[in-house]
Amino acid sequence: MAKIKLELVNLRKEFGKLTAVDDVNIAIEESETMALLGPSGCGKSTILNMIVGLEAPTSGDILIDGKSVLDVPPGERNIGLVFQDYAVFTHMTVRNNLAYGLKIRKLAQPEIEREIAKVAEFLSITHQLDRKPDELGASELQRVAIGRTLVTSPEILLLDEPLSNLEAAMRNQMRRELRRIQADTGQTIIYVTHDQIEALSLAHRIAVMDFGSLQQYDTAHNVYQYPKNRFVGSFLGNPPMNFLKGKLSESGGRRAVTSGDSTIPLPAGNLGSDVSAGSDVVVGVRPESLSLASADDPGSFSVPILAIEPQGPETVVTATFGDSSLKVIVPTGTEATEGDSIALVPKSDLVALFDAESGVRLLDSGDRR
Amino acid sequence: MSEPVLELRSISKNFGDNQALKDVSLTVPHGSLIVLLGPAGAGKTTTLRIIAGLEAPSSGEVFIEGHDFTQHQPNQRDIAMIFDNLALYPNKNGFDNIAAPLRIAKTPKAEIHDRVMEMAKLMKISHILDRTPGTFSGGERQRVALGRAMIRQPRFYLLDEPLSSLDFMLRIDLRSELKRLQQESGRTFLFATPDYTEALALADTVCVLIEGEVRQIAKAQELYDEPVDRDVARFVGNPPINIVLARLTRENGSASLKIGSMDMKLPDHMEHSLPSNITDVEIGIRPEHIRMVGSDAAETHLTGVVNDMEPLGMHTTVGVNLGGVDLFFTVPGVQEFTDGDKVEMHVDMESILFFDPKTGRRLT
Repeated sequence: MAKIKLELVNLRKEFGKLTAVDDVNIAIEESETMALLGPSGCGKSTILNMIVGLEAPTSGDILIDGKSVLDVPPGERNIGLVFQDYAVFTHMTVRNNLAYGLKIRKLAQPEIEREIAKVAEFLSITHQLDRKPDELGASELQRVAIGRTLVTSPEILLLDEPLSNLEAAMRNQMRRELRRIQADTGQTIIYVTHDQIEALSLAHRIAVMDFGSLQQYDTAHNVYQYPKNRFVGSFLGNPPMNFLKGKLSESGGRRAVTSGDSTIPLPAGNLGSDVSAGSDVVVGVRPESLSLASADDPGSFSVPILAIEPQGPETVVTATFGDSSLKVIVPTGTEATEGDSIALVPKSDLVALFDAESGVRLLDSGDRR
Repeated sequence: MSEPVLELRSISKNFGDNQALKDVSLTVPHGSLIVLLGPAGAGKTTTLRIIAGLEAPSSGEVFIEGHDFTQHQPNQRDIAMIFDNLALYPNKNGFDNIAAPLRIAKTPKAEIHDRVMEMAKLMKISHILDRTPGTFSGGERQRVALGRAMIRQPRFYLLDEPLSSLDFMLRIDLRSELKRLQQESGRTFLFATPDYTEALALADTVCVLIEGEVRQIAKAQELYDEPVDRDVARFVGNPPINIVLARLTRENGSASLKIGSMDMKLPDHMEHSLPSNITDVEIGIRPEHIRMVGSDAAETHLTGVVNDMEPLGMHTTVGVNLGGVDLFFTVPGVQEFTDGDKVEMHVDMESILFFDPKTGRRLT
C-alpha cells in the first residue's frame, strides 16, 4: 500500500441548517490524482476550501502525512491552488509570475532561475517567459497559473475546474499534458470537476459527491463500471446509463426483470437478503454494454426500436423497455429499422441492479480492479 | 416546399481590418433545427447578431419570410435570441417568471394561464411554478429560463450556446429536451455551438463556420464521413482525426503511400480517383480506422509503440508511434496500456481521406 498523503476523516461542514459536507472520509495516496466529481452544489468546493484552510470544518479532521493541519494557517499548509480563471498577475511578465512564489520564500536568484527554467520547459512556455499575460491565449494563461503553483513544489496541488474556460480542442490537449506532468513529477493532485470525462481521463481514483455526501470512492474503472448506486451510474457516461424499471422474477434459478412485454435476463450473483421475486427494481446497463444478438441466442432479449441516430463512428439506437427508454450503441452502418425490434445480449458482468426506492445497488457480480 | 423563414444572402462583416464574416449564405426552412457549428472566434455570434439586427452587415442581405429585413430595427424582426446566462426575476415565482413576456405584450389573463401551463408541462416544471428561483436547482432554473424565452412565439429562435454554462449531465439532459420541444412545437431554431457532439445530438442540418466562412452545410453524419476540408475533418470527431503528411508513389500501375518509415499499398480504385500530378498529400485517418490485431493476423499489420493512454469510460484513447508517426486510436471500454507496450496495428486504407497539403481541400 502506497503512502497516504492526505486524509479526510469524518469531515463535516454545516452552514446554519444546511449540511454542506456530510461526514466524508477519503484517503488520497501520494503521487496519485484524485478527482472530486459531482454536480454544482454537491460540496466539492467546500471540501477544497477546508483542505486549503479557507474554511474551518464543523467537525472531523484533515491529515497531511498523518498529521492534523487544522491548526496550521492556510499559508503554511504548502498546498498549491489553481482556479479556472487563472488569477495570474497581469502586470508581470510570465517569468515574474513564475518567480513570485519563490521570491516570497526568499530563494536565491540563481535557484529561482533554475526552477523557472525547469517548470517553463515542462509546460512548454519557455519561449513566452518575457511576455505579459495579455499577450497569451487562454490555455497558455492556464499553463502559467499551473506553473506558478508547481514551481513552489507544493505537497498537494489542488486544481479547481482548471479547464472549464478552455475550448474543446484545447481541453483535450491540456488533459494530455496534465497527465504527463503528473506522471513525470509524481505530484499528488486533487482535481475538482463536474466533468466526468476529465475525471475519468486524469484521475487514478474518483470520489463522487452528491448533496454533501460521498457516494462512491474507488478507482476510475470501478466507479464507471460498477457504480454503487443509481446516482453514480447516472453521473458518468454519455449517452447516460439506461435505467430500466421493472419487477424482479426468478424461475429455475435464473433471474430476470420484466416490464410490459420486455424482459431482460440478469447475471448470477448474490442478491441482498431483503430482495425477492416481485420486488420493484431498476436495471442499470450502459448503452455500450449491450451487444447485438440474434433473437434466438440464449440470454438475449428483444425490444422495439423507436429512433436511430448516427453519430459519427457510432449510431445510437433508442428502443423501449416497458415504460422506460433504452439506448444502445451500435456501429454506424448496422442494419436497423425504426419500428422493427432489435435483439440484444447484455455483457453480464456489467449489468447492475438497483433498489427502485433507494437506488442502492443490489446485485453484486463481476470483477473489480 | 414552403418559403424559408430565414435566408442570409452573401453576408460579410468587417470590424476594422478584421473580416469577421466572408460571404456567408444560409437558408433556414420553417420548422427546422439548424446548428451553426464552429470554434470560438469563427463568427457564430456575429452571424446571430446580424440576423437579430443588433449588428449591421458590411454587405449582403437578411431575408425573413421572403422580405428584405436588412435595414429593420431589432424590434421589428420578431425574433427571440437566447443566451447562456439567462437571468430570472428572483422575487417572482416560476409562473410569473414564465408569464412575464406575455404580460408585457398585454396578453389576456386566461390565455396567459393556459400558455404558461402548457409551457411548464413541456419543460417539466409544473411542480415548481409557485416557488421562487432561490429554491430552484441549476436544472430547474435553466428550464424556467428557457420556458420564459419560449413562451413568446416569434418567427424563429436564435440560440447562442444556451447550455454552455451548465454541468455536463444537465447539458445532455436539456439538449434532448430542447430537441423534443422543437420537434413537438414545430418551431424554427438556429442554434450556435462550438461543441460538435451537441451538433450531432441536436441537428437536422449542420452549418460549419470556420474563420468567418461557411465551409460545409450537411447532415451531421455526412460532415463526419465526407468533410470538405481538413479543418472540418479536424473539428468533427473526438478523439480528432489523425492528420499526417504522406508521399504517394506510383510504380507499374500500382500506388503506395509512404507515411513516416511505412510503405502502405493503396487500393487501386483510390489511386485512380486521386489527381495524377499529385505526390505530396495529407492523409486523414479516423481513430476507429486503426485497429489492434493479433501478431499472426492475416491482414497487413505494423508494430507500434504505445506512448499515451486516456481512459474515457466507453472508450480508451491510445497514442501509438507507428513508423515514426504519432497516431491515436480508440479501443472499447477500459483497457490498460503502459508506455512502451508493443502493439500490432492494422490501418484500414479504404477509409483514408486525402487532403491537398496547401489548400486543405479534400482530394477524394
